[in-house]
Amino acid sequence: MIFSTFLNGLTIAGYLFIMAIGLNLSFGLLRIVNMSHGTFYLFGGFVGWNVLKVTGNWFLGLLAAGISMGVLSFFEEFFLLRRARGKTTMETLITLSFSVICADLAIWIWGGFPRQIKIPKILMGQFSIGSINFPKYNLFIILFAAVIGITFWLILKKTKIGMIIRAGVDNFEIVSTLGINVGRLFTWVFAVSGFMAGLAGMIGGTFQMISPGEDSKVMIYTLLIVILGGMGSFGGAIVGALIIGMIFTFGSVFAPQFALFFMFAPVAIVLVFRPQGLFGRRPAK
Amino acid sequence: MKFLKNTARLKQAGFIVLLLFLVSIPVFSTQFFLTMMIRYMYFGLLTISFSFLAGQLGLFSLMVPVSFTITAYTIAICQVKNIMPLQLSLPLGFAIALIFAAVCGVMVNKTKETSFLMLTLVLSQLVWSIALQWTDLTNGSTGLLGIQFPEALNIFGDKPNVNQYYWTFILFGICIVLVWLLTRSSYGMRLRGIRDSESRMIALGYNTAALKWSAFMISAVISSVSGILFLYYTGMISPDLMSMNSSNQALISSILGGTNSIIGGSVLGTVINRTLELTLSGITKRYALVTGLLFLTVILVIPDGLTSVFERFKRGRKEGGELK
Repeated sequence: MIFSTFLNGLTIAGYLFIMAIGLNLSFGLLRIVNMSHGTFYLFGGFVGWNVLKVTGNWFLGLLAAGISMGVLSFFEEFFLLRRARGKTTMETLITLSFSVICADLAIWIWGGFPRQIKIPKILMGQFSIGSINFPKYNLFIILFAAVIGITFWLILKKTKIGMIIRAGVDNFEIVSTLGINVGRLFTWVFAVSGFMAGLAGMIGGTFQMISPGEDSKVMIYTLLIVILGGMGSFGGAIVGALIIGMIFTFGSVFAPQFALFFMFAPVAIVLVFRPQGLFGRRPAK
Repeated sequence: MKFLKNTARLKQAGFIVLLLFLVSIPVFSTQFFLTMMIRYMYFGLLTISFSFLAGQLGLFSLMVPVSFTITAYTIAICQVKNIMPLQLSLPLGFAIALIFAAVCGVMVNKTKETSFLMLTLVLSQLVWSIALQWTDLTNGSTGLLGIQFPEALNIFGDKPNVNQYYWTFILFGICIVLVWLLTRSSYGMRLRGIRDSESRMIALGYNTAALKWSAFMISAVISSVSGILFLYYTGMISPDLMSMNSSNQALISSILGGTNSIIGGSVLGTVINRTLELTLSGITKRYALVTGLLFLTVILVIPDGLTSVFERFKRGRKEGGELK
């Protein structure tokens, strides 16, 4: 019982981690909290569901969810956020209004009822280790999150783009004086973060369900992870996702009346003693 | 004609006419208009509580509905479960809401801009999660229903609506006058000083943390008053009121009107937002879409809100006059 709950928690941590990296990336570089990140999750899930229905291929749906959300977030950055560059509160408000509009659009396009995305045939069924049964799909999510995490870590640490991004997180003004087109970098990073949210939408939508209203829920969980781990910190996203995922599943099993409360309380405590999050650095003045 | 040229007099006269109109509304108006006015006023207070922080301190708080809901829930729980009479539950509701706000105020004090926005969002969701999941006490997502307007307060005739209107009007008026006085006072100046340059205010020897905290508390008090008005107007309270959508509505109204003019902007924004909701919800189900698009347009085109347009127009006319 405890072991299977633990594995469930790991699964939820997996797709929340994919969400959190995207949010963290766009926060670290652009200094805005992308309130429409949850919207990309929701839309990604719905687009994936549609593609799966038409083509019958789950992995094609996953790819479509990611790419379509990458394009959508590209447009959001290119046509809306650029107009308010530098005014971080205004930019955040733009993403907020974008999420309000899109949440209603989702109800318009896909209706207000939940959708179940079918698990692909390859990933159906169970693993058995001794007496414990574990769905293959959950294992897939955990592995997928791990692959995404490692890829990101390698890109950030080993490539030139990653170097530029890390430098930009520390001080993008200096980076822009070095002859790097920061505006274009911002757009691409934002698009990649949308891509991640789209992937997470398809994966999470298959694991649970996809329904309007899910966007703000997932958004809040992701925010909790990012605040807990520290904004703009890669390791923080991993630890934060694990903590929140575990609290969520163990809380739902052992104290369903306060499961949500238990998720928020540690975050509030961390904020009092370490306002920058567990792994965050204090912002440079 | 000379009288018309004296703008100060004209303003006074206009103000008195407006006041008389508002007081006499229950005499001639329909039931529908009366309830609409009550709605404007309680929601306007919520918007003012948002605008006060946004305009004076430049902080966008997404937890304005928190004090609102805590107060309303406390009173509703006390009444539904017959724990204590209104004379006791009313101060209790205020006390719990303000204690919570005081703790949160300390927590969010060091943050600003986007991190403030995010932290307040998380804190409001914390309260929302309690309201949603602690079903023994709060009745879960259904909320608490059937809260009656206390009969002891029926001092303006027999009709409950008229009584509610006058009580709402009085509390709304008191809050507005208080906010107006605060923004005009040296206290308001200090807050705006923090908004413009906190480091300079610290250098001048002001305790900016305490000032920010006190502004946070004032906003919480206004929000609590609004919660009481809401509770008796609708007779119910549910966790829905604290969802992200609900705090967004206060934010949207405030920014539509313009955060620089706290009272005018809030009232204007609220009237536009609520009227849109009322008229559009009859025509289409997509009114959230329309409000969102309107909000986006306002942020992109006139980020200072609609009142800034009037301001600009007024200033332009004045400057034109000076040229002559």
